[in-house]
Formats: sequence, C-alpha cells, structure tokens
Amino acid sequence: MAQYLPVLALLVLAGLFAGLSFVASKIFAPRNPTAEKLAPYECGITPGRDLPERFPVRFYLVAMLFVIFDIEIVFLYPWAVNYQELGLFGLVSVLIFSALVFESFVYLISKGALDWGPLQVSRRQDPMRSADRTTASTVRRVGQDGRTVTVLDAGVAAEEAGSGVAA
Amino acid sequence: MIALVAQDTQTVALPGPPVVWSLLWPFLILAVGGVLLVTVTSVVPVLRGRSFPAAFTCLTALASGLSLIPVWQRVDRLDLVGGTIGSGTEGPRSLVSGAYAVDGFTVFVTGVICVSVFLTALLLDGYLRREGLDGPEWYVLMLMSASGGVLLASANDLIVSFLGLEILSIAAYVMAALHLRRAESQEAGFKYFVLGALASAFFLYGIALVYGATGSTTLQGIFAAGPNAAGLDPRTDSSLILAGMALLLVGFAFKVSAVPFHFWAPDVYQGAPSPVVAFMASGVKVAGFAGLARIFLYAFQPYWADWRPAIAALAVLSTIVGGLLALAQRNVKRMLAYSSINHAGFMLLAIHAAASPDDGGQRGAEALLFYLLAYTVMVTGTFGVATIVGGRGDGRHDLDDYRGLSRSNPLLAGVMAILLFSQAGVPFTSGFFAKFRVIGALASDGSYALGGAAMLAAVISAVLYLRIVVSMFLIDNGEAHEADHEAVDAVAGGRAAPEAEGDTLVEASPEASVLTSVRAPAPTALLAVCLAAAVTLVLGLLPDLGGGILSDAASALLLAG
Amino acid sequence: MRVTETWYLTLSALLFTVGFVGLLVRRNPLVMFMSLELMLNAVNISFVAFANKLDDIAGQTAVFFVLVVAAAEVVVGLSIVVAVMRRRPSITADDLRSLKG
Repeated sequence: MAQYLPVLALLVLAGLFAGLSFVASKIFAPRNPTAEKLAPYECGITPGRDLPERFPVRFYLVAMLFVIFDIEIVFLYPWAVNYQELGLFGLVSVLIFSALVFESFVYLISKGALDWGPLQVSRRQDPMRSADRTTASTVRRVGQDGRTVTVLDAGVAAEEAGSGVAA
Repeated sequence: MIALVAQDTQTVALPGPPVVWSLLWPFLILAVGGVLLVTVTSVVPVLRGRSFPAAFTCLTALASGLSLIPVWQRVDRLDLVGGTIGSGTEGPRSLVSGAYAVDGFTVFVTGVICVSVFLTALLLDGYLRREGLDGPEWYVLMLMSASGGVLLASANDLIVSFLGLEILSIAAYVMAALHLRRAESQEAGFKYFVLGALASAFFLYGIALVYGATGSTTLQGIFAAGPNAAGLDPRTDSSLILAGMALLLVGFAFKVSAVPFHFWAPDVYQGAPSPVVAFMASGVKVAGFAGLARIFLYAFQPYWADWRPAIAALAVLSTIVGGLLALAQRNVKRMLAYSSINHAGFMLLAIHAAASPDDGGQRGAEALLFYLLAYTVMVTGTFGVATIVGGRGDGRHDLDDYRGLSRSNPLLAGVMAILLFSQAGVPFTSGFFAKFRVIGALASDGSYALGGAAMLAAVISAVLYLRIVVSMFLIDNGEAHEADHEAVDAVAGGRAAPEAEGDTLVEASPEASVLTSVRAPAPTALLAVCLAAAVTLVLGLLPDLGGGILSDAASALLLAG
Repeated sequence: MRVTETWYLTLSALLFTVGFVGLLVRRNPLVMFMSLELMLNAVNISFVAFANKLDDIAGQTAVFFVLVVAAAEVVVGLSIVVAVMRRRPSITADDLRSLKG
C-alpha cells in the first residue's frame, strides 16, 4: 500500500491546485459585469431566440463505429483468458463471431460509409448529379407545347441555369 | 463439420454444449440467410438491384418453412412429452445447454413467422420499385428480425428471450425509419425506438427480479422454484417474483400493444412504410405473443392465479378501447392500428383461457395458435392492400382514398373486402373461427363475463371494418375531393422520387400518376394480397384443416416439455 | 455498517427510476438515450447483486449480453436521430409531432 502513497499525494496536490486556482481567480480577478458583456455576441442583431444546437453528424458516425467495434472486446476478452480450456469449440465460436463483426465492416465499406470529405463524396456516383440533367430536361415549360424554342427562350434558360449555379 | 467439433471437445476441461444442429435449421436458415444476403450484395454490387434480394428473401422464408417439416416429425411425439426435457430421445427437447427449446409450439410459430416474412417480401418488392428505393437492407433487416422472433418464441431461458426480443425489435426500429425521404417514417422510427427501448428495459428488469427471486433464468428453473413444486424452495421470494412478473408483463404489453401501453402503435403504424407495418403487425406481434405465452404459461404457471387477472384486464381494455378508438379515425392505417390492438386483446383472452388449469387450457392454447395464424395472414394482406392504395409517396391513406376502389380495381376491392370481413369475424372466413375459438375457450373455462366482453368488442370493431368496405363500394360522389387529392399527390409523388421527376412531371397527367398504383398494382404485391385472401377463405371454409397440428402444438405449449 | 445486497438493489431501483423519469421528462433525444442507458445499467447492478447473493454465475453472464444489447440499441437510436437531423435544424422530442390523430 505504501508505494501508492506518492500517487495519492500527487492526486491530492493536483486537486488542491485546480481548486485553489479557481478560488484564486474568483477572489483576485476584477469583475465588473454589465448586460453588454454578458450578451453572447458583441455586435450585430440581438438574437431573439436561442440558436438551434447543431451537432456534427460525422462525429456521431465515428462514435457509432467505435461502439460497435468496442463491444466486440467484451466477448473476445473472456474467451482470450480461457481459450485453452474452451478448446476448439470456443475457437470456432469466436471465429464465427469475428466473421459476423467483420461482415458488418464489409457492409460499411460497400455502402461508402467510410468515404469521407467532399472529394470522396463528389466522386461517388449519384444519379442526381449528371451532365444530362439541365434545366431543359428537368423543368417542364408550361404552355409551350408545339412551339419552337426561340433564341430569346434559350437565353432565358441559360440565365436561369447560371443563377441556379450561383444559388 | 461444426457438429463434429462439438463432440471433440469432450476431452478438454470445459466442453462446449451439445448442439443438435439438425433441429436448429429453421432458425439458422433465417439468420444465416440474412447475413448471407448482406454479404453477397455488399461484395457483388450488381446484385443490389431490386429483384435479387426479394427473391432471395422469399426463398429463404420458404426454405426455413420447409425445414420445419422434418423438425416437426422429430419433435411431435406427444407420448414422450412426459420424459425429461433434453433427454436425447425424440419429442420436445431443449438444445444448446437448455437455452433453446424445440417443440410443436415453436415449430408452429416459426411457420407463422415464415409466412409473414414471405408475404411481406412480396409486398416490399412492389413498394420499393414504386418509391424508387432500392437496397437489400429492408430484406436483410426483416430476415434478422424474423430470426429474432423465432429465438424469442423458442427461448428456454429468459436471457435468450431478451436477446431474441432485442434482435426482433432493433431490426424493426430501423425498418420503420428506413424510408429516408419521408419525415413521417423517421418520426415513426424514433417513437418506436424510444418506447420499444423503454419496454425492453422493463422486460430486462423483470428478468433480473425473477432471477433474484428464483435463482434461475431458465424456464424450468423458474417453474421448479414455484410454490406448487415438490419441496418448496426457501429462496422463493413472493414479492420479488410478483414485481418481476409485472415488469415482464408490462414489457410484453408494450410489444404487443395491449391497451394501457398501446399509444405508440397508431403513430408508428401511420408513419412507418406500409409493408414494414405489415411485418410489424404480423411477424413482430406474433413473436411477442409466442414469447408471452411460453414464459407465462410455462415458467410462471405456478403463479397463474396472480397474473391471470392482469391478463384479463389488459385483454378487455384492449378489445373495447381498441375498437372504440378505431371508430374515431379517418386514416385507414390508424384504423387498422387500433384494429390490431383489438385483435391483441382477443389473443390475450386466448392466453387467459389457456392458463385455465382444466379443460379450457387446451382449447385456449389452440385458440391462441389458430388466432396467430389467421391474424398474421389477414393483417399482412390488409396492410398489403393499404400499401397498394397508398400510391407513390405512401400518403393516400385517408378513408376517402378508398372511395370507389371497387370501380378502379374490383379485384383489389374484393380482396380487401374478404380480408376486412375476416378481421370483423364474418362466417366462412378465418377470422370468424379465430374469434369463435377464443370465445368458446372462454366459455368452457367458465369466464362468461370475458366472453361477453369479447363479443361486444367484436361487434364494435365490425362497424369499423364496415366503414372501410362501404367506402370502397360506395357510389363515387367525392369528385372534388379526388381532384384535390390528386394535385397534392402529384406533388408528393414528385418529391418522393426525385430521380424520376423529369419523366413523371412531363409525361404523366396527374390522374394517371395517382391511380397507376391502384389500377395496375405491382404483380408481386397483388400476388401477396391474393394469397392472403385465399388462405383466409380456405381457413374459413375448412377450419379443421390440420387440426391435429394445432392440438399437438397447443399441448406442447401447455406442457412445454 | 455492512453494505448488503439490499443496498445495491435499492441503488439499482433508484437508478432505474431516475432513468425512467429522465426518459419521460427530458426532451433532448441524446439525454433520452442516456436515460435509457441508465435504466439498462441499473438492471446490470441488480443482476450482479443477485448473482453475488445467490452465488451463481448466470447473473454475471447476463450482464455481458445486456451490455452488448444496450450498445446496439443506442447505436440504432443515434442513427435514427442523425437521420432525422438531416431534415431539421434542431431536434427535440416535441418537434416530432406530425403524427397525431
């Protein structure tokens, strides 16, 4: 027990230091709060309501992948401790189990769940994004059946296409 | 090969459990089929198209169903039921260290789940094509969910029940939310998830308390610790086991949507994709009832006097409230959700009768099994018709959308009428005999009050089905409404399938785009609903078809070994 | 004062209740998931306490399964929330009310 005493002492010291720092800043720092200082923004329009919390989806994806592969260990560890006693049956069971976990990995890769970043995303085949899809092919012009498309119309279409890109 | 491995391990310190693989096939085919489907379609993307996964799923369900026949012949030896379970002889037995039971009841329920998977796969095929969705995920999840259902129905240990329940439900949560373009679908998935997970937590706490009270999680162990077993176990702690049973019952009541715990069902049924609802209402619910029946009728049989009144209360509330609230709805999917709550009440009544220690027990168990089969077929068929009528975007579920269905597609209207009459319990349909058996079992048990309540509820719910039928065959005078809906629907359709928007908006006039799904439904979906109607009629005309199977399976449930 | 199983069981029941109330009261889906986890892990405490009291290994093995199931459940729940998030700027359980009848 005695050899853990320094660790304990260090823990106490660390705690004391952290606590004292907080207390010290509370006591010594000058504080002079005004309504403006407490506002979340220093300039601009005063927000009328709380902004919606946004959480980045990517991080959750990472977290979910982590949880899946993390849990695998819960089963592998007890097996690894006793693998000799469990023998071939245990080995085969664990192999089947690992194959199933690996299988989910295969699925993830095939779905492109691990292709991250704008480059990879744009490289993916997407029927919504093709050269064939122009304003002429996706927008129906009302009341033009049987009429030839004039130069003016083409110009308007081009303009619309341009503004669509800008938007 | 693996069976050999299992035998070889006799020499080492910790031998693996003896596993009789040949009796596990029905379960393994479903589970392995699901894994195989996702692997194959991941590695060979060509197969991610729409036909292969559907065909694969149908074949898997068929194979699993066919593999039940030899299993049935091996385990259905009732003269050996008295022998100890797992003794190695033919007859009902438990496998894998007593964790998995195979008997007539298991085989029957597995068959019903396979029927549900088969019909739903046919429905899903047409649905996915119409919505412009693809991907084998739907089918994979359904196979997984079905395998979990089989596990729940066959579990001989409460922990295995829990695993089965979770496999069953988690896959179903995802399926409910899988239509990524529909906000309602995701909302339904979220609600289903939260309430389902709550139910699972209750269920698990119930297991923990029962384990604490009896010192065992196996059904035999719990049964043996009961008060009427020889040599009262001093560990039996009455208040603990009562609380445990109550929590387990609450968990199951959530899953089967019995009345005080039903409020998620209408929202989820309305929002989730219609074929998925067909599966949730049939396969998932059947598995829930099978687990409920097995655990309560066998493990908690010594305490039947304690839990029977609770089941009766749930049942009566479900039948009456389900029927009454359904009358207030205009959305057909919500109506059907309440009607399935009503059916859940009837099945709980069958369980109530099956708990009877005398003659009513066998009749109640038979009624439960017949009801499970009849209900599965008719509810899958009904939601199948709802899938077809729902149209592109899966949004046309108002009662008015069924108006004039007899003109636009007489076959579909006829099929729907058969299915609805069956749900109402009109003679010459399977639903009549299902309800008749339940009430008969209650009568032979002496529960006349419950039987009367059941009849009253049947009458109330009949009004609901008649409303839909009348609306289908009504002379169409709602032109204004139709046109209104068509405009909305055309927009919804365009939004639902953006990759096809170029063609749809240019070519199709609004009327055509709305009614194609009704006038020319997907052939697979039509096949599914016609099959369902045919089975409903056959079971209604020949209710004693396979009566021996029913009584054998029922007695297996009551003796459970 | 000796800590007996009853203490652990009481703790477990309390945590379960906290989780249950949290699930009903809180509107943030993430907090709801945390409450769910709390409920499941409260049950784990019960299992271990009972296993200790009964001197039986089954309760401890049960915890393994529960852990895995809880993880799977939360992963699925998170994915559903992420899917909903893609359509909405923010999400609380109150926002999900298009299904009413």
